Order: sequence, then structure tokens, then C-alpha cells
Amino acid sequence: MRTVEACASLHDATVVIDDRVILRDVSLEIGPGLTVLRGPNGAGKTTLLRALAGLVPLARGRRQATGELLYIGHRPMLLHGLTARENLTFFARFRGTPADGVAGALAAWGLADRADRSVETLSAGERRRASLARLDAEATGLVLLDEPFADLDDAAVSRLGEAIARARGDGRAVIVATHARHELDQDGARRVGIAAGALTTP
Amino acid sequence: MTGLARVGLVASRELSAERRQPDGAVAAVTFVAVLVLLESLVVGPSRARDATVAAALFWIALAFAAIVVAMRSFDRELDDDALDALVVLPGGRDALFGGKVLALAATLGLVALVGGVLSLVLLDLPLALPVHVVLVVVLGVVALAPVVVVDVVLALRLRARAALVPILALPVLVPQLVSATQGAAAALTGDATAALAWSGILLAFALVYGVVGLTIVPAAIE
Repeated sequence: MRTVEACASLHDATVVIDDRVILRDVSLEIGPGLTVLRGPNGAGKTTLLRALAGLVPLARGRRQATGELLYIGHRPMLLHGLTARENLTFFARFRGTPADGVAGALAAWGLADRADRSVETLSAGERRRASLARLDAEATGLVLLDEPFADLDDAAVSRLGEAIARARGDGRAVIVATHARHELDQDGARRVGIAAGALTTP
Repeated sequence: MTGLARVGLVASRELSAERRQPDGAVAAVTFVAVLVLLESLVVGPSRARDATVAAALFWIALAFAAIVVAMRSFDRELDDDALDALVVLPGGRDALFGGKVLALAATLGLVALVGGVLSLVLLDLPLALPVHVVLVVVLGVVALAPVVVVDVVLALRLRARAALVPILALPVLVPQLVSATQGAAAALTGDATAALAWSGILLAFALVYGVVGLTIVPAAIE
């Protein structure tokens, strides 16, 4: 898979939402390899990923990102009314990459026979798998995954572990925010902790 | 991929979703059809046949239809956070506005066709300059779409957006509605010069709000 080396960083980033400080003076640099972001509920993991993706405005500080990124949040982020295949084909074509990898990616995630059903008719786990198939279909250098193991069965959890390992091997920068799956911390993954909106030593 | 190609992709995606889940378009067509059917009862048969009255009610109905279709379109984007997936794509913020406007204009064109035919047949309206009528309707639709999309985006994350969007959009749409009404009435009654003049004004509105939308929406979308 062709990938573009990417990195992203936040410098003294503060995010305020509804008058609440969600992130406070966070500085973080992300390079190739796996970074595991851990923290309790409400610590600011999702906001940190969204800040890196440019989805929330910074009240202070700055964000830098090079290369294309793939962000998969708590929800599958697929458009209702379209099939899984149409959603993934749209993303690939929008990036200007061939969409011929979409069928294989959906099949690899066990969705070959459901690829042409509207996504709102799929189960939560199937929608999550369709969303994660974007990891294989889009060759982005930076991948941000927010609680990606939610809704997955054991086979899909294994599949995701393999996909993350392969992405690392391809030199992609992968950030996973999760409070489970401690096996991700092995094999030299970088660990980052967050609590009450500030980075901590995990 | 060029910016225009991305706009085309977003519009195509939007129309595909609307085709599979046509609740926005169906609601809009129903609304316009009911208004046309009730028009004679509300203003009386002779007043309803007045080209200016018929055109005014038609365009008011179309403005509400535009709001319904645009809000349904963005509701669909918010259902599963699909909007975020589009916004983080390279060029996604810029393509969003153009794509939504194109798709909304296409859907409104269909609604206008149904409403227009119903108006002409049920109200027995004169049709002196059919080509000019089509020109005014096309430019009127193109002038409505960017304003409505901008307003829906500005109210996107507000809890009361279903109430706020019409309140925000309708006052801004008044000049377009007046122009479209006057242009359509002129075309129906055979005043080609006036129809073309109002068409020019509609085109100017479309261009101004197109530029405003291209400037505001990428920054406003969250």
C-alpha cells in the first residue's frame, strides 16, 4: 500500500467547549508508529483526537498536520441512505485514489454479502466494521481511531489488531484512544496518558 | 482531484442518498402541492389566477421546501457523524458548500417542476413566455439554494435549529422571493423585458450568496 508519511502535533493547545476547558495546554507530537492514548471517561481523549483532526477550534495554541489523515470516531461516520460500498467508494474517490480496493477491504472485514445494503440497515457491529474497512481502503499517513474496539466481536477485534499492526508496518502514524486492550501497549507502542484535559505519564 | 470534481462528488453522493431516502423531497413536494391546491380556497378563484399572487405563493412554498430539504440533508449527515468524515477529507470543507447547493438546487428543480405544472393546470394560469418562465424558475432556485445552505450550516449545532433556520433564512430570502415573483409574473403575462431584468437580479443574488457561502461555510462548519 502506498502511504504518505505524515505527522501531526499540538502545541500548547487549549480547547474550550460550552465554557468548559476540555484540553489544557496540551503539547503532543505524533509520528510514524502506534501511539496509544489512555485515560478515564471524560479525560479528554476524544477531544484530543478531534483537535488533532482539526475538528474542534483551539482557544489557544496551534495545530500542525502534514499528509492526509483518517479519523474514525465513536460513531461509524457513514452517510445513511448509501451502501457501505458507496460510502467507501466516495471516500476513496474524494482522495483521488482508485476505489478498486474497496470491495477487497469490505470482504476482509466480513462484509462482502452486506456491502450493497444501506448502512442504516446494518447492525452496529457491521457499521463499525464497514467504517474500519476504510483503514485498508484509504492509504492515509495518519490514522486517528477513537475507541475502535467498541461494538466488535472477537473476530473483528483480531482483524483490527492485524490492521493496526499492518498500518504500523507500512510506516503510518496510528493513534488509538482506548481504555481497554492493554495488549496494544506491547511491541514498542508509545503510550500517552490524559486526565482532566492534561497529558500525564501513563 | 480538482475542487470542482469534489463538489460534483459531494452533490452526487447527496442525490444518491436523497433518492434512497426521499423524505425531504417528498415532504417538499407535498407541501408545495398542498399550498397550490389550497390557494383558490384561501384567496378566492379569481385572485388565485392572478399571475403575481400565484407566483408569490409558489415561491413562498418553494422557500419553505428548500428549508425542509436542506435540513433533512444535514440531519442525515449528523445521524452518524458522517459530516465529520467529510470535513476531515482534504478539500472537504470547501466541497461541502458547493455540493450541498448543487444537490439542493437539483432537488428543488424537481419540486418546482411539480409545483409549477400543478399551478399552471389547476389555476389555469397564462403561459405567455414559457422559456422565460423556465429561466426565472431555474435562476430563482439557484438564488435560493446558497442562502438556505448557509443558514442551515450556521444553525447546525444549535438545539433549536428547526425553529431557528426559518427565522434566520426567510428575512434574508425576501429580496430573492420578490425578484422571483416579479420575474415569474412578468414571464407568465408576456413581459419579456421585465422577466429578463428580474432574471439578471436573481443571477446576481446567486453569485453574491455563492461567494458568501464559499467564504463563510468552510470556516463555520464544526
